[in-house]
Amino acid sequence: MTKLGQWLWGLALLGSAWAALVLKPLGLWVPPPCHQILLPLPIYLLVAFGCYSLATIGYRLATFNDCEEAAAELQEHIGAARADLRRRGLQF
Amino acid sequence: MATATDRVVGFGLVAFSLVLFVYYTIWIIILPFIDSDHGIHQYFLPREYAVIIPVVAGLLLLLFIGIFVMIVMWKNRKPAKKLD
Repeated sequence: MTKLGQWLWGLALLGSAWAALVLKPLGLWVPPPCHQILLPLPIYLLVAFGCYSLATIGYRLATFNDCEEAAAELQEHIGAARADLRRRGLQF
Repeated sequence: MATATDRVVGFGLVAFSLVLFVYYTIWIIILPFIDSDHGIHQYFLPREYAVIIPVVAGLLLLLFIGIFVMIVMWKNRKPAKKLD
């Protein structure tokens, strides 16, 4: 089965479990506070995932290792290459 | 080390998403278990907004992404070549 198929299958399972608990078929009783939590649960999970993504992006942005000497050296190489090519007649 | 701006923005994002997560978790999961005469309920909007606000925010996000894609594609359009 493809990855897409697996994800859709998992979503379908979780979705039907959620729908079953929310629609309360005969004989199923859920305590009222749990029912109140159950209704917005998909949106809550989506918002929680969004918060996690944002936090991961922010953390990796803050802890990324810049190499300033390597950057300066690279700019130097670029300048030297440009001068060389200009000398050989290439127009920029 | 990342630049100072990067670090400020990065940790700001982390703090913001942490605050958002804690507030939303309390709103959705913890409040139903607290009696309605407790003082904490005054800090939270009625429960419908816990669904309406994220849905509207998601639609706005899609709108801005669509506008951005539109602008970039508009700038990159090439005039049709004339055949000699």
